[in-house]
Amino acid sequence: MSLPDRPRPDLDRDSTPWWEAVRRHELLLQRCDGCGTLRFPPRAVCGRCRSREAGWVPALGTGRVASWTVSHQVFMRAFADEVPYAVLHVRLDDGDGVFMYGNLAGTNPAEIEPDMPVEAVFADVDHELALVQWRPR
Amino acid sequence: MSFRDQAAIAGVGYTPFSRNSGVSTLTLAIDAITNALDDAGLTVDDVDALATHRVGDSTPPWVVAPALGIPEITWYLDQFGGGSVSHAVIGQAAMAVASGAARTVVCYRAINARSEFRMGGTGRDPAPIFDAQYQAPYGHLAPPQQFAIFTRAHMIKYGTTHEQLGQVAVGQRANAVKNPRALKRDPITLDDYLASRWIAEPLRLLDCCLETDGACAIVITSAGRARDLPVRPVLISGAVWGGGDSFFSGQGGDFTVSEAARIAPRLYAMAGAGPEDIDVAELYDCFTYSVIVQLEDYGFCPKGEGGPYAASGATRLDGALPVNTHGGFLSEGYVHGINHVAEAVSQLRGTAGDRQVAGAEVALSTAQPGYVLAGTSALILKADR
Ligand SMILES: [Zn+2]
Repeated sequence: MSLPDRPRPDLDRDSTPWWEAVRRHELLLQRCDGCGTLRFPPRAVCGRCRSREAGWVPALGTGRVASWTVSHQVFMRAFADEVPYAVLHVRLDDGDGVFMYGNLAGTNPAEIEPDMPVEAVFADVDHELALVQWRPR
Repeated sequence: MSFRDQAAIAGVGYTPFSRNSGVSTLTLAIDAITNALDDAGLTVDDVDALATHRVGDSTPPWVVAPALGIPEITWYLDQFGGGSVSHAVIGQAAMAVASGAARTVVCYRAINARSEFRMGGTGRDPAPIFDAQYQAPYGHLAPPQQFAIFTRAHMIKYGTTHEQLGQVAVGQRANAVKNPRALKRDPITLDDYLASRWIAEPLRLLDCCLETDGACAIVITSAGRARDLPVRPVLISGAVWGGGDSFFSGQGGDFTVSEAARIAPRLYAMAGAGPEDIDVAELYDCFTYSVIVQLEDYGFCPKGEGGPYAASGATRLDGALPVNTHGGFLSEGYVHGINHVAEAVSQLRGTAGDRQVAGAEVALSTAQPGYVLAGTSALILKADR
């Protein structure tokens, strides 16, 4: 593994609390105070009711595989030792239209199936950064 | 809409396409623009506006203008964005001409996508794309990886097959065999396709467009002025751009519908035409899948049946809807969208040689259908009668 060599996320003022939670191994979503819609990625305003009031709530931490890819080509040198590796597009169980990406954990890419149930696990890169991964459950 | 048929394409110019141009993107731009003006029977002195798009890798109008010796620029566009805005650049130039803001615009795109700046910034730091922070740390950044996710979603929902993707690649290569400008001119079979190596499953090498060094330029002026020039004008009958959902972050939810579905009704309404009127379609083919989803979303077949439609032969040169007649980005080369417009013009002028579609009067040319960055753009072009 070469986690520390990977591209680091370019945090912005909307996303910093989310990444700080991931570092604590917590998976959060925003919930609109106006209409209750859950949203990710973090934004300052609700796209449904336009409310600017929102809070952070824990995500269930589970979802299903909506789509995935297995990269064989080395697009980034940090991943040279990891090909072939999978990236999952996960539909969270929390509600419609909430998706996250992440690597596969706990099995190999050949085992992935559409709608496969997965749960979030956390991989520490260093003291400042952790990443979300998804393993079958 | 107000500017239907008011602006026309009067000239088209290319540089050679290659894997290493050996020159700067500025030189490529100048060569393509010069060739387009020659084609139109115009000179640099006739140009008063320039338009391009870029992702930090090309030459902006205010560098090109003095380099070419254009006396004065009265309007320019330096649009940030990739293939999804490629046709919006042409549309905005048409609006500039129709409004009187510009008299003669040259739209260009100059790109050393193989030898210098590879897409997605995978050769260096991640590209400054909004929301990349939620993907790049997982090794997910390059366009084939992005489109692999979208392709797989379509396969899951509609049963689209590897063989159907392969038929897109095979059919377009057959067209490229007839195109002297194409980078890849050796015929391929479905077996060749299935034997090509994985890039990012479910996409193989032959699903991917050709990283290309090259440039292309399009001269746009008023329909009235174009009729006084030596070549037959091609009218810009429909030009729309827009979108809504961002697919990059996954908030769009359903990857199997592209932004093309959103803009298609506006496009057809502006042009006063429908899918049944299109004689030839140049559909943005960064990957085979984008052709399949656009066949559906521009209304050529029912939703979910783009794969069977492409595999039926309907999109071959002798089919009901010839698609990517030059071989497309998969086989001619990838100049980020503009070479689709140039090929559509060739077809409507009747100068496409061995790959000419007989009697082509109306062409659809499209941009990247709105994945990764929301929004897309497209043109309907008509031969002037
Ligand atoms: Zn709300």
